[in-house]
Amino acid sequence: MNSLLEQFLSEARDVLQGIGDKLMQLENAPDDAGLMTELFRLVHTLKGNSGLFDFPEMTRVLHAGEDLMDAVRNGRVAYSRILADRLLEAMDFVGLLCEEIEAGQGETARHAAASVHLVKGLRELIASDEPAESSPPAAAASVAELAEDFPDLALDRLPEAARMDAYRRACAGASLHWLVYRPSEQCFYQGDDPFFQVRQTPDLLWGGIEARDPWPPLAELDAYCCLLDFCLLTAAPRAALEEQYRYVADQVTFTPVSRFALVLPQGDTNGGPVYDDFATDARNLLAAGDLAGLARNAGTMLELSSPDLWIASALRWLRLVLESEPDNRAVLGALVESLNSLTTPDWRAAGWVERGETHHADAAIAHSPSQVATASSKPAQPDQASAAADQPSADDGFRSALPILPSDAAAALTAIVATQREILALSDQPVWLSGRISAAAAALSGCLRAAGAADALPELDAAVARALAEERGDALLAWLDDWFPLDGLADAGLKANIPVQPAMPVTPTDTQPAPAPATQPEPDSELKFGRRAEDAIAGPKSLKVDQAKIDRLMNLIGEMVVAKNALPYLAGRAEAVFGVRELSRDIKGHYAVINRIAEEMQDAIMQVRMMPVSFVFQRFPRLVRDISRKLGKEVNLVLEGEDTEADKNIIEALADPLMHIVRNSLDHGIESPEVRRAAGKPATGTLTISAAQESDRVLIEIRDDGKGIDPGVIKRKAYAKGLIDETLLERISDQEAVNLVFAAGFSTAEQVSDLSGRGVGMDVVRNAVEKVNGTVSLTSECGRGTRLRLSLPLSMAVTNVMIVVSDGQRFGVPMDSVVETVRVRRAAIRTIKRSLTTVLRGRIVPLKSINDLLGLDAAPQVNGDDELAVLVVRLGDESVGLLVDDFRETQDIILKPMTGVLGGLSAYAGSALMGDGSVLMVLNVKEMLS
Amino acid sequence: MKRILIVDDAATVRLYHREILEAANFTVEEAMNGIEGLEKTLRSPFDLYLVDINMPKLDGYGFLRELRGLDLPQAPAIMISTEAEASDARLAYAAGANLYLIKPVRPNQLLIQVRLLLGEVCP
Repeated sequence: MNSLLEQFLSEARDVLQGIGDKLMQLENAPDDAGLMTELFRLVHTLKGNSGLFDFPEMTRVLHAGEDLMDAVRNGRVAYSRILADRLLEAMDFVGLLCEEIEAGQGETARHAAASVHLVKGLRELIASDEPAESSPPAAAASVAELAEDFPDLALDRLPEAARMDAYRRACAGASLHWLVYRPSEQCFYQGDDPFFQVRQTPDLLWGGIEARDPWPPLAELDAYCCLLDFCLLTAAPRAALEEQYRYVADQVTFTPVSRFALVLPQGDTNGGPVYDDFATDARNLLAAGDLAGLARNAGTMLELSSPDLWIASALRWLRLVLESEPDNRAVLGALVESLNSLTTPDWRAAGWVERGETHHADAAIAHSPSQVATASSKPAQPDQASAAADQPSADDGFRSALPILPSDAAAALTAIVATQREILALSDQPVWLSGRISAAAAALSGCLRAAGAADALPELDAAVARALAEERGDALLAWLDDWFPLDGLADAGLKANIPVQPAMPVTPTDTQPAPAPATQPEPDSELKFGRRAEDAIAGPKSLKVDQAKIDRLMNLIGEMVVAKNALPYLAGRAEAVFGVRELSRDIKGHYAVINRIAEEMQDAIMQVRMMPVSFVFQRFPRLVRDISRKLGKEVNLVLEGEDTEADKNIIEALADPLMHIVRNSLDHGIESPEVRRAAGKPATGTLTISAAQESDRVLIEIRDDGKGIDPGVIKRKAYAKGLIDETLLERISDQEAVNLVFAAGFSTAEQVSDLSGRGVGMDVVRNAVEKVNGTVSLTSECGRGTRLRLSLPLSMAVTNVMIVVSDGQRFGVPMDSVVETVRVRRAAIRTIKRSLTTVLRGRIVPLKSINDLLGLDAAPQVNGDDELAVLVVRLGDESVGLLVDDFRETQDIILKPMTGVLGGLSAYAGSALMGDGSVLMVLNVKEMLS
Repeated sequence: MKRILIVDDAATVRLYHREILEAANFTVEEAMNGIEGLEKTLRSPFDLYLVDINMPKLDGYGFLRELRGLDLPQAPAIMISTEAEASDARLAYAAGANLYLIKPVRPNQLLIQVRLLLGEVCP
C-alpha cells in the first residue's frame, strides 16, 4: 500500500468519526449553523480525498452526501432525523469500503447496488425540498442509474404467459413497472408486513420472492430478521405504486419496463431453427405486408413444432405481436430473424427498450471536466531539438516563445496569461488590489522567464509600476496587449477560463489502487512518489505507530522483566556454590540498576499503550440513538470521564461487554415514554456511562433510570430454570437474587429480542470482564433504575503474584485477590459443620487447604510455633483463608494462559517462567474455590 | 530552491501535492488552514501558494485576500478546488488567485503550471 493511500485511509477514519460526532451533536442542536458548516466541510474533504483515487462508488456516495450537506448548509433543505439517518448510513458504507480497501480488496463492483441505493436516498432528500426544479432530474437520475446498474432485470424468469399478459396490458396502454422491494431487516419491528404489502400492490401481474443472501444454517437463522426481496411486475401507474409504498419508499425501486423487454422467446433450442423455406417465406410476406399470410404460416409452423421448443415460443410471440401491433414491422422482422438465428432479439440495441431517460445528474457532472478539458491535457510532445535552435528575441514576446516550449507547457502558458488578463480586467477595487496586481505580475514574470524571454522583464516591471501607481490593471493590460495580442488568444482564452483537468487517469483494472504512479509517466518527467526529499519542517507532535510494533515491544519488555529476575538467583549461586561473595554483591548491585531501568521502561511502554476510554465510548451516542429509536424509546445518553485512560487491551476487552450492557439497559431497563410518564418519571430516560480511575483500577459505571430489576421475577425465573432450588428460593436475599442475572444460562427477557437477548446473558459480560481480571457488580432498585459497575485493572501485561509453598511445590496467587497473610495458631482453628474456620478481626473466615483443593495428598504443615500459614483471599465480597505451608516473596510475572490439553485445568490461571528457569503455576482462586 | 506552501485542511491532498512537488525538487511546506498559512508566510514568504477553498478557521478566499493585502513581495497563487464552477473561479481571481485548478490535478499538469508561474524552464 503506498503512503498516499495509507494517508487517505487514516484521514478517512478520522473524518468519518468526525462526521458521526457532528451528526450526534446536531441531534441536540439542529440549528447550529457552525456545526452544519463543519459537517459540510468534513464530507467535502472526504470526497475531495477520495477523488484522488479510483473509488467510484465511494466518490459517488460522498458526492451525493456533499450535495445534500451543501443544500442543508444553504438552508435549501431542512435538517431532519431521516437526513441524519441516511447520511450516517452512507458514511457507514464509506467506512466499509475503506476497510475493504485497507484489507487490500480494492473497491469492488459488488457494492454498486448499495451505493446506488444510498445515492438515491440522499438525492431524494435534496429533491424533496426542491419540488420546483430539481425533482424531475433527480427522479430521472435514479431511474437512469437503475437502468444502468440493473440492466438485467432477469425478466426471463417470468413465465411466458405472465409476460404475454403484461405485454397485452402494455399494448392496451398500461405502463409497466418492475418493482423491487427490499424490506428493511428490522421491518417486523416497525410494524411492516411486507408480504401483505406486496399482495396489495395494484395491478400485480407477477411477483417473486427470493432470499437476499444465502440462508444461514438453521441454528443461526434469526426468524425476526427479514431477509427477503420481492420482485414484482405491475401494470399500475407510477403514482398508484408510490402511494401503495409510500411508507417504505426508501426500500423500493421502480424501473419502467418496456413491453419489448418482455418479448423473450424461451425453450429448448435442440429442435434447431425453423426451415429456411419458412424464414424466406416469412420475410417475403412481411415485406409484402401480407400479415394475414404470415400469421397463417406461423400458426401452421406452430402446430408442427413441439410447444417446448424455443422456436415454438418465438412463434407464439410472433403471433401475439401480429395481433397486438401489426404495424410494428421492425419488431416483427426481428422476431422472424430470431426464428432463424435462435437468439433472442436484442431489443435494447435495436432501440426498442429505452434505458430510462438519458439525463443523468451524476453523469453530467462527471462528464463536464472532460468536456471542458483544455488542450493542455494532450500528452507532451517535447520537440526541444528544434525549439532550442531559435531563441526568441524580446520583441517577439510570448508568441515567439511558445514554439520552444513543449506543446502542453505552451498551452498552459497561454492559459495562465489569459487568466492574468482576466484578473487584471476585474473592475472591483478591493483593498488588496495592489497585491493582486503584483501577484499577476509575478505570474507573468514567471511565464516570461520560463519561456526564455527574460529580456522583456524590465518592460514588464515598468508596466507594473505604472499599474500600481494608477491603482488599476490597465497599464499592465496594455502591455499584455502589446506583447500578446488578444486575437491570438481567442481560443486559448476560452480554454483558460476554466483550466480543468480530466479526472486523474488510473488504470481501472488495477486492483491495487495506485493513483499517482498510474498516470502515464512521460519520458521527461520524474515523478517518484513515496520518498520525499529531506525537509526542514518540524515533524508532527504525535506519531501513528503500527500496533504490532508496540505489541512486540511489550512482549520484549515482558521477557526482560522476567530475565532480569535471574540475576538475584545468579547472585545466590555465586555466593552459595562458588563462594565468591564479592561477585555476588556486584551482581546484586547491578540487578538493582537493571531492575530500575526495566521498571521504568515497562512503565513507559505502558504509557504508550494507554488510551482513553473515549475510544470505546465514542460509538455509544450512535448506538444508543439507533437502538432507542428502533425501540421507540427516548433516551438521553450522558458520558462522563471519557479521557480516563487504561491499557489498550483493557479498553478493547471492554468494548463488547459495555455494548451488551448498554443494549440491555435500553432494551430491558429503560421503559417506553408512555410507561415512564405513567410511572411519574420524565418521558426521556437517562443512561449514564462514566469512567474514573481509582488507584490502579478503572471503574466504569453504567446507570439507567429505568424500571430496574425485580428480585421477585429473577427468583422465580431462576427457580423455573433450575438455577436455584426451593430452599434457596426462600432464603436468598434480594441482592443475591439480582446477582443471579450473571448466572450462566440466565436471560431475563420474557421474549428474545433482536437487541440484547439471543440466549446470551449477563454471564457473557461477566466472563469477558473476568478474563481481564476485572469484576462486575450490579445493584438495582426496582422501579428506579439499575447500576452496573465494572472494575478493571489499568494494565494487564504484567501480573503481580505472591508465591506460596505447599507440599514442597511453589504456586503463584495473583495479588489482586490476596487480602492478607496471617499465621493462625492451630488452636484457633475450629470446625463448624465439618468446615474449618477461624476468627480474624472479629469475622469468621472459612479455611480451605490448598492441598485438598488441588488434590495433593498431604496435610498442611505448621511452623515451629505451631502456627499455620493462612493466605486470605477475596472471593467476591467474602474472604476465604487458604491453608498453605509457607509464604514467599511477591513477583512480577508474565502470565501465559494454559493452552491445549492443559487449558481445561480451570484451577490454574496460567503459568509463568521464572528467573531461575523454573515454571510457576499460578492459581485461579475463584475457579478453585467455586 | 523554490519554496511552495500548500494550504489545505485535507492531509491526503496535502500529501498528494507534496509528493508531486518534492519529486520535482521543490521545497514544500504545509498549512492546515488559512491562519496557519498566513503565520508561515509572515515568518518567511513563499515563492508560490497552493490553496484549497474550503478550510476551517480561514478559508482559501480569506487567506488570499489577507495575503494580497500584506506588504510583501507578492507571489503567484494557485487555487485548487473540487468545484468546476466558473463563478468559483471568478471569486478566486478576485480574491487574488492567479490560477484556478480542479481537483484532482494531474501531477504533470500541476508541475507545468507551477514551473511556468515560478519562471522555471520546463524540462
